[in-house]
Amino acid sequence: MRKLALLLTALMLAALMVPGLALAQAKEIKLGAIYPLTGGAAAEGRELRAGVELAVEIANGVMAGIDMDMAKNGGIKSLGGAKITVIFKDHQGNPQLGADLAKKLIEDDKVVGILGCYHSSVTKTVAAVCERFEIPMINDSSTSPSLTKSGFKWFWRTTPHDTQFTKDLFEFMKGLTEGKAKGVPAVPVADIKTLAAACEKTEWGTNVSETIKQFAGEYKFDLAANLLYAAKSPDLSAEVQSLKAAKPGAMLFASYTSDAILMIKTLQSMKASPKLLWGQDAGFEAPEFVTTLGDSTVGILTRTVFTPQVAQVKKVAGQVNELYKKKTGIDLSGPSARSFTGLHAWVHVLEKAGSTEPKAIQAAANAITIPGEQLVVPWFGIKFATMGDDIGQNTLGTGMIGQYQKKGDKITLEIVYPFNLATSNMVYPFKGF
Amino acid sequence: METLLPELLRSLVSGLLMGMVFALVALGLTVIFGVMDIVNFAHGEFLMIGMYTTLVTAPFLGVDPTLTLPLAGVVGAALGLACYFGVVQFLLRGPMVAQLLGTFGLMLVLRNVALLFMGSEPRSVHKGWLVGQSWLVGPGVVLESTKLAAAVLSIVSFVAVWWLIRRTKTGMALTATSLDKEGARYVGISTERMNGLSWAIGGASVAIAGGLLVNFWPVDPNVGLLFTMIAFATVALGGFGSIRGAFLAGILIGLIVSLPTVWDAFIRFAGLGDFSIHSFKYTFVYIIYFLIMVIRPQGLFGWKQ
Repeated sequence: MRKLALLLTALMLAALMVPGLALAQAKEIKLGAIYPLTGGAAAEGRELRAGVELAVEIANGVMAGIDMDMAKNGGIKSLGGAKITVIFKDHQGNPQLGADLAKKLIEDDKVVGILGCYHSSVTKTVAAVCERFEIPMINDSSTSPSLTKSGFKWFWRTTPHDTQFTKDLFEFMKGLTEGKAKGVPAVPVADIKTLAAACEKTEWGTNVSETIKQFAGEYKFDLAANLLYAAKSPDLSAEVQSLKAAKPGAMLFASYTSDAILMIKTLQSMKASPKLLWGQDAGFEAPEFVTTLGDSTVGILTRTVFTPQVAQVKKVAGQVNELYKKKTGIDLSGPSARSFTGLHAWVHVLEKAGSTEPKAIQAAANAITIPGEQLVVPWFGIKFATMGDDIGQNTLGTGMIGQYQKKGDKITLEIVYPFNLATSNMVYPFKGF
Repeated sequence: METLLPELLRSLVSGLLMGMVFALVALGLTVIFGVMDIVNFAHGEFLMIGMYTTLVTAPFLGVDPTLTLPLAGVVGAALGLACYFGVVQFLLRGPMVAQLLGTFGLMLVLRNVALLFMGSEPRSVHKGWLVGQSWLVGPGVVLESTKLAAAVLSIVSFVAVWWLIRRTKTGMALTATSLDKEGARYVGISTERMNGLSWAIGGASVAIAGGLLVNFWPVDPNVGLLFTMIAFATVALGGFGSIRGAFLAGILIGLIVSLPTVWDAFIRFAGLGDFSIHSFKYTFVYIIYFLIMVIRPQGLFGWKQ
């Protein structure tokens, strides 16, 4: 009899606890964010983290001055106002460590989904782990095109990738010859028809080099030199000499930070004089690029995803930037604006799913359309491809091209492409060093 | 031919200049090795510290960066002595592997100390006689001020070190120490002091090189690695411990790394397509290095076995 009573009590307790557990789950939604918080990309890691943290604050609270749905709900409405908690992990730029951390987050912390990881190489291994455990992952900031070529069912990417960015460059150059650039009359095609490209020789740069070659063909440009170089090199004069010998109108680069700086210094000292000089983000957008090179950067173009200038053309970006600046002391940048958007996408997906079940999240992510006016980044919106050869890729993202210009005694990155978002007259031709 | 010849000339000049820069950086390494049979893995960090010395002291003293070179030399020599008497002399008692790992540890310590005090971001000198200067000569040949100055300094330092070793009593004592430590001690040479001297010379020469190179190259705590890989190849190619060998090997490497430009000019001239070989630039250096190691292990001009 006592045994039965005990059993009954236990059962009753269990029955009481089950809804209790379910309730607790609804109150808190755990997401894992894996970023390079230490190591070579620690500076970017800090920004990525701050972007996510700010997005969480906005999503969990009710903020009057922010014109986005996420700021009005005080949590995930469809989950009874559940709050989002993000557990941050540091992958140090190491793909193996990233995969281990993802496993820990999924098995020990029981996260609902993953966000990250900045380095394409780490994103690759983490996405594979998520695929195996059937846990959804949203990637906010890795641009290697191959990430969405694997046909993964649990992987979605909000940021545009390098192929799209490189296409932007050619659209931009085409527009330039058609007189679409702000403040520049139509440039004769012959001026910039000849191109010379130098890309660093790891997976990222090699890929950019190939897409440049592909688009040069499609857009009928003449790629006279297309070389790969070792980023960790003490000297780039041989490379620069080859670029110069091609007599290009435009020079294109995919470089990391220190080699981007050395490249520009070498171009300068060897008196290169292209009419256009473009870099594929990364080193060309690193803060050190401007601090180290100073006025030599004026007129250089770089692909970018976010500059504080976006606030001039997009109100909501300005509002969020104000909060971000209050929190960190600096403006939103490429990494932070994209990590913010990554979490922002998570919020919309969870809202639509109304559940923390992986299957429900998967269905929601595949069906969702987030309009552009909700976002801080200047995209048309977020809608993931569910078929074709780029599954999980956001089809509504766009890149921008910025140009370093001197305003007073400060160097700012002004938007020159998309042409309708231009924040300043473009400087053309590149005045030389 | 019109386009090919000037292109060849340009590559030759830039290769020679860069080669002398490589030789300059390798000089200190070969001096230390010649006397002590120790490979100083921290060599690149000495270069980095020389660069920082100039970067920090020039604005502080309000003088041109070039004028701080003696100071960089003093810092380098002091650091060399400190490393020798503080660490390396104890490593000599251990096996070979202790010496290798010891200087490797020294490298990590110096690099991280720099990281602690200077931060990880690259910095560069913005003002100075040599900064941003270059001249066009003849058919598009560019002479860059910093590399030109480094080439001159390279020749001067090599002659000076060669003279010191061949023509002075101290130099003879150094040579004696490197040839036969026991024997040198028997005839009354303080081999400890000779070892210390070689570290001082090695440290000073590479720190001066750093002080000069920072006029062009940005400096960050990891910059040493870029140059030391080449410096090791230079020393091994020229022959461990050979002063003349290091100089010629440096120039040889400078010429090898400008080969891809010649290749590009050639295929453009001959209309053979656009296959660029720049990504293999250093592969050629290491292939030659490998061949020398197999065929002539003592290096081109080496005499040590």
